[in-house]
Amino acid sequence: MAETMSGAAAGKKRLTAADVVPGASTARAGKLGGNPYLPEICTVREIIQETPNIRTFRLTFDDPEVQKSFSFLPGQVGQFGVFGVGESTFAITSRPSETEYIQFSVMKAGEVTSAIHQLSLGDKAGVRAPMGCGFPVEAWKGKRILYVMGGIGSAALKATIEYTIEHRVDYEGISILYGATAPENFTYQYDIDQWQKRDDIDLTLTIDRECDGWQCDVGLVPHVLERMNPTPENTIAITCGPPIMIKFALMSFKKLGFSDEQTYTTLEKRMKCGIGICGRCNVGPKYVCVDGPVFSLAELRELPDEL
Amino acid sequence: MTIKYLAQDQLAAFLAHLAERARVVAPISEDGVVLFRNWEPGRQVDLEVLLAKQAPKEFMFPQTEEYLKFSYRMDTPVVDESAPPAGASDDGQVEAALPHEVIEVQAENAAPAQIIFGLRPCDARGFVQMDQVFGGYGGFYFDPLYNAKREATTLLAVTCRDPRSTCFCTAIGGCPAGHEGVDALFTQVDGGFTVEPLTEKGEAATDFAALRDASEGEAAEAAEVKVQATTRVDVPFEIDGVRDNLKANFEGTSWQDLCLRCISCGTCTYVCPSCYCFSVNDSLVETKGERYRVWDNCFNPTYTLETSGHNPREKKVNRFRNRFSHKFWYYQDKYDSLLCSGCGRCIMHCPTRIDIREVLRVMGAPAGVPEAAGAASNSAELPATDGKEA
Repeated sequence: MAETMSGAAAGKKRLTAADVVPGASTARAGKLGGNPYLPEICTVREIIQETPNIRTFRLTFDDPEVQKSFSFLPGQVGQFGVFGVGESTFAITSRPSETEYIQFSVMKAGEVTSAIHQLSLGDKAGVRAPMGCGFPVEAWKGKRILYVMGGIGSAALKATIEYTIEHRVDYEGISILYGATAPENFTYQYDIDQWQKRDDIDLTLTIDRECDGWQCDVGLVPHVLERMNPTPENTIAITCGPPIMIKFALMSFKKLGFSDEQTYTTLEKRMKCGIGICGRCNVGPKYVCVDGPVFSLAELRELPDEL
Repeated sequence: MTIKYLAQDQLAAFLAHLAERARVVAPISEDGVVLFRNWEPGRQVDLEVLLAKQAPKEFMFPQTEEYLKFSYRMDTPVVDESAPPAGASDDGQVEAALPHEVIEVQAENAAPAQIIFGLRPCDARGFVQMDQVFGGYGGFYFDPLYNAKREATTLLAVTCRDPRSTCFCTAIGGCPAGHEGVDALFTQVDGGFTVEPLTEKGEAATDFAALRDASEGEAAEAAEVKVQATTRVDVPFEIDGVRDNLKANFEGTSWQDLCLRCISCGTCTYVCPSCYCFSVNDSLVETKGERYRVWDNCFNPTYTLETSGHNPREKKVNRFRNRFSHKFWYYQDKYDSLLCSGCGRCIMHCPTRIDIREVLRVMGAPAGVPEAAGAASNSAELPATDGKEA
């Protein structure tokens, strides 16, 4: 067909067994790993109770070579699971520069996440990573980055926040607006304490309802965002949180004058294979697992309204 | 390329010859239903029913396919007692769990040589279409499970002498004697088959003493059979513009009418030669388990159900729209190929007589036309059998 020829002309091609590294996992050989279904065995090294129902797991790849060579882009995800129960997609929440471990933050919600929450130190788990596309942090150099997040949405942005903080001089500014239902529901409290101490990070914390001893803002994230009244000039806005929060935060960005090109979010969908084949995480012709999870609002505008 | 000839009475000997070096699969009648099954000497190949009830998809992409085996050791786990880094919160709340000491994870991928005889050119084209997604076309991932089987398989297709009223392969670029994906094409003529090897695999499979060169008369008869068959295939809609029109009609109200009688059973997806969506599950019995993939069905309401309770395609109309858009719009955008070869199995086997041709006539037409055409009727009439309603 004509379309096939145009695709071939554009350099698109199908892979054969000769193009890939036989039997290698994604962690070993990236997209050219010959078996992207094969998890690497990892050991749980540290478990941090972030909130009553969120735990952060620090894992090391059992093969030291894989641990040494593992790298990912901020915003990329991984499949983390328990053999015998299943695997699910989670944002990688370790720093991209971290060489000692890979980290996921998991909210206990369903079957797989409950099994993950049962993991103890020293237990083995499976990891397929990295997957998906990260944020274009290189292209954002010289800009002010505004993170707007709620609840467990912080996990999706954690690696990116850490990356921009590590490369602070490359960015004009970093602002973080983080909301949770109550003070005990903030993740990464130990990092928030560090961010608060720095005068080159503009941090705003908010909770839904007033409570004793709370010193920071009170109000829903979109309301606080509008009160903050950030300038859209030379700014990239990134939001992640519960779907309803994202929806209203995006409306607030629009109201504040942010264009679709400078507004980003990361999507969540039910996923199985994680490699763009099993079919369920599509939004029109885009698969959240391989084309996302990171999308600009301009990209989303091109897709059917089926989020 | 030389056209060969195989006498009908030599077919069993030919298949027996193939069976010496590979598993041979052919359409075989079992309790009145024709399905692709392992052929053994003495079993009758059924080419009378044009299309086996299911496409031979399961031989490249099994309904259930185990791909990982793992085992646990159930003794005390090794506890790493390294201290948490400064600032990390106390993990004293972590309750004890069963030891999760995985001792082995083994990838599985068996792909013995197999030969599928008696599939139709549309069935073979279904594989060519699926090759794109499983072959990581456009910079995606290579699927080792599908490709190992694909590599080990030879496709010996038989020309559709008598296309059915539900066939529409020619409308979407196919042909009852199509070559796409076919290693050797057999065409039924008087007293036997003409045989055209089209690939190296096809040459190898048809290298058999009982195959002689076809006479001019036999070759001419085969050519005539192909022409006759091709002219008899219905062209129920115009494929040009379908992709753009599906996009333009995404919010069209006719989707609602078209999907009304759908019962979300998924039969259309299971009989389809190119539907490939799957689910992944784990099973664990005591210390041994496996991870396997299993055909899924995009009409299943839980297919996209998220743990939070949110479901992007909660409504039947959304799932219905997704299947047709996937086949004629999304897949084309991503993989430069359609995801339908026009076999018509979904029309034949739909319990509520939903007709893909009608869906495309309505939703694949320019915006505004569908309502005017009034074709989105909810009547349970039999699918159109003739006429060229473009």
